[in-house]
Amino acid sequence: MARNLDRRHFLGLAGAGAGAAALAACGGPSTGGGTAGSGAADIDFSGVKPASSIDFWTNHPGKSQDVEKAIIEKFQAKYPEIKVNLVTAGANYEEIAQKFQTSQAAKSALPGLVVLSDVWWFRYYTNGNIIPLDSLIKQLDIKVDDFQKSLVADYKYADKQWALPYGRSTPLFYYNKDHFKAAGLPDRAPKTWQEFGEWAPKLKAASGAQYAYIYPALAGYAGWTLQNMLWGWGGSWSNEWTMNCDSAESVAALQWAQDSIYKDKWAGVSSKEAADDFSAGITSATIASTGSLLGVLKSAKFNVGVGFLPGGPKNETGVCPTGGAGLGIPSGVSKEVQLAAATFLKFMTEPENTAAFSAATGYMPSRTSADMSAVLSKTPQIKTAIDQLAVTRVQDNARVFLPGADQEMAKAAAKILTQQGDVKATMTELKGTLEGIYTKDVKPKLKS
Amino acid sequence: MTRQLTDRPAAAAGTVASDRRRGRWSARTRRDFIVFLALALPNLALIAVFTYLPLINNMYYSTLDWTLGSASATVVGFDNYINFFTSADAPKVLGTTAVFTLVTVGGSMVLGLLVALALNSEVRGTTFARSAVFAPYVLSGVGVGLVWLFIFDPGYGVLSWLLRGIGQQSPQWINDPQLSLVMVIVVYIWKNLGYCAVVYLAGLQSLPQDVMEAASLDGASGFRRFVSMAIPLLSPTTFFLLITTMLSSLQAFDLIRIMTPLGNGTSTLIYEAYLQAFGAFNRAGYSASISVVLFAILLVITVLQVRFVERKVHYS
Repeated sequence: MARNLDRRHFLGLAGAGAGAAALAACGGPSTGGGTAGSGAADIDFSGVKPASSIDFWTNHPGKSQDVEKAIIEKFQAKYPEIKVNLVTAGANYEEIAQKFQTSQAAKSALPGLVVLSDVWWFRYYTNGNIIPLDSLIKQLDIKVDDFQKSLVADYKYADKQWALPYGRSTPLFYYNKDHFKAAGLPDRAPKTWQEFGEWAPKLKAASGAQYAYIYPALAGYAGWTLQNMLWGWGGSWSNEWTMNCDSAESVAALQWAQDSIYKDKWAGVSSKEAADDFSAGITSATIASTGSLLGVLKSAKFNVGVGFLPGGPKNETGVCPTGGAGLGIPSGVSKEVQLAAATFLKFMTEPENTAAFSAATGYMPSRTSADMSAVLSKTPQIKTAIDQLAVTRVQDNARVFLPGADQEMAKAAAKILTQQGDVKATMTELKGTLEGIYTKDVKPKLKS
Repeated sequence: MTRQLTDRPAAAAGTVASDRRRGRWSARTRRDFIVFLALALPNLALIAVFTYLPLINNMYYSTLDWTLGSASATVVGFDNYINFFTSADAPKVLGTTAVFTLVTVGGSMVLGLLVALALNSEVRGTTFARSAVFAPYVLSGVGVGLVWLFIFDPGYGVLSWLLRGIGQQSPQWINDPQLSLVMVIVVYIWKNLGYCAVVYLAGLQSLPQDVMEAASLDGASGFRRFVSMAIPLLSPTTFFLLITTMLSSLQAFDLIRIMTPLGNGTSTLIYEAYLQAFGAFNRAGYSASISVVLFAILLVITVLQVRFVERKVHYS
C-alpha cells in the first residue's frame, strides 16, 4: 500500500530519526563499572619505540613560555627523532585541568605530557587518567634520588610514583624594605604573626600604603596560603581524612585574620593578585608564591625583601606548605607516546634545565644537584625560597585530595574576611561540606 | 479572462489536494518537495546533530553518577536531581538566577527604552550616539569583563581612585559575593543596553505618525502620548525583547566567568552547571541535571510568554 509523505510526516520522521540517532550516539562513559586508578599496573615498555611527535600541555607557570621553548630546542638538538609540540593548554592550573578532563571525556587529542597541579593529580589518579612512572623511571634511569625528597613524595600514592616535580613552589613572605625602614622596623620578615601584628600599625602609619598586609586573593588558592595561619595556631583544614577546620585552633587563627581587617584595620584582601598589589605599592607586605618572585622584582619600584612565612602562637616553624605543579603522562595515549613523553620528562627535569627554569621563574629547582650559583648570584632572593624547603609541611588532605575543596575553602574565607561572617559557624558549615565531598567523591575511590 | 486567471490557482490547489487525497503527487509537487528537501535537510541535520543530540545526550548523562574524565559511571536515576533540589546550594543558585535575570532583563529594557527615546530625536551627533550605545553589544564579553574588572578593582581601579578622591574607601566589589552580583549585573546591563535601545528605536520609528499627530492635535501631552499610545503600540517590540533578553540572561556566561571565576555570589544555573562539571568538582552527571533544570525553566518561561503575555500584545 502506497503511503503519502507530506511535510508533516516528513518532519515527524526527521524528528524520530534525530532522536534515534541521538540515542544511538549516547556514548559517554561506560556504565558497566570500572576501577579507580585503573592505570595502576606497571607498564612494560621493553621493545617499545618512542613516538616521533608528542604534545606538551602547559600553562607556562611563572611566565615560563620562553624558557620552556629554550629547553625544547635543546631537547630537539639531542633527540631529533622526537618532536615536542609546546601547547598552551590554559592560563592557569584550572584551565589546563579543564582541557585535560574534557579531552578524557572526548577520548581524543590527549597530550603526551601534561602539567598537573597539587590539587589535580590525585583526581587524575582516581580517574585512571595518568600512568605510574615507576617502570619508565627504571627504564630511562631517571635519578629520582637526586630530586628534592619532599617534592617527589607529594606525587607518591599506593607505592607508585604518579608524577615528577616541575614548577614547584612555596608561599613566600614579601615585604617592602622601604616601608619597613620608614617604620623603624628590622629588615626581615616577622617571626610570628603576633610580631607582625605589633609592627602593622607602625607600618601603616609610616608607609602611607593602603594596607600593612594584604591577604592573597580568595580566588587565587586561598586554601593554600591560609594553611600557614591555621598551622601556626595549631589548626588545619583536616587531619588525614578527618575534617577539623572547625577546631578551636583553626577558628582562632581565622578570627585573628578577621580582626586584622575589621578590628585592627591594617589588613585587606586582594581582589585579583596579591603579588601585583604588593608590586603596585598598595600594601607593605603579603604572601605570594615563589613563582611570583621574578615578576615582583621586575615590576616593583622599591626594595623588595623576602622571608620565611611567619609562625603562630603554637608553631613558629613548619608552617609553610609546598605547592605548584608536576608533570604526568596520560594513560589514554599509546605506549610509544608515553615513552617519548617520559624521555622528554627526563630531559626537562635534568639539573641544568631545572636550574634554567628556576632562574627564569623563581620556582624552586627540583633537583638537589642543580647548580644554582649563577642563578643565586643574580637573584639572591631565590635562596630564601630554597632554604624554606627544609621547613615545609605536606598540605592537608582536604585541600589537595578533595575535588572542589579549594573553592569551598575560598568561599568560606570570603565570608570571614570580606563579609565579617561568624568564624565558628562558617568553619562548621565548611566542615560539613568537606565531609560531604570526602564521603561521596573520594572515600569510595581510596585504596583500602 | 480575469476570472479564469483568478480561478486557476484555486483549481490547481484543488487538483493538488485531490491528488494528495488519492495518494498521487503531481510532477510540480514532487519537484517542490525535492527543493524543500534540498533546502531543509542540511538545516534539519545540523539542528539534530548540534541541538537535539546534545540535549538528549545531556538528559541521559543527568541520570549518571559520572566524574568528568572517568571512563566509567553509575546509573543513579533521578538522584542527581534530588541531590540538587535538596542541596544547600539550590536556593542560592535559583535565587541568584532569578535576581540576575529579572534585574538584567528589566534594567536593559527600561534603560534601553529611555535611551531609544533620547536617540529618536533629530539633533546633531545622534548617529554617533547610536553607534556608541550599540558598540558594547558587539564587543567580546571577555574583553568587556577584563576592562570592567580593572575599573572595579578596589586596590587600583578607576572607581577606587575616584572614591578615594572624595575620601571614601572602595567597596569589595570582587570579594564580597553580594557586591559581585551587583558588579556583574551593572556590566551586563551596560553591555546589552544597546541591543534593547536599537530594537526599541526601530519600534519607535515605525510608530504610525498620523495617529500620534492626531493625538497631539487633540491636546494629548508628550507624556500622555508616550504612556497611552507609544507603549501599547510598542508591545510587539517589548514582547520580542522580553523573550530574547530573558533567554539571553538565563544563558549569560562570559562576563560571570571572567569577572567572578569562583562564582561566589554570582553562580546562576548555567554557571553552576559549568562549575560542577568543568570547575573543580568534575561532577558531570550532576551538572547535566542542572542543565536539564535550566532547559525546563527556559521551556516553561517561553511557553508561558507565548501563551499568556502575547495576548496582551497589540500588533496593529
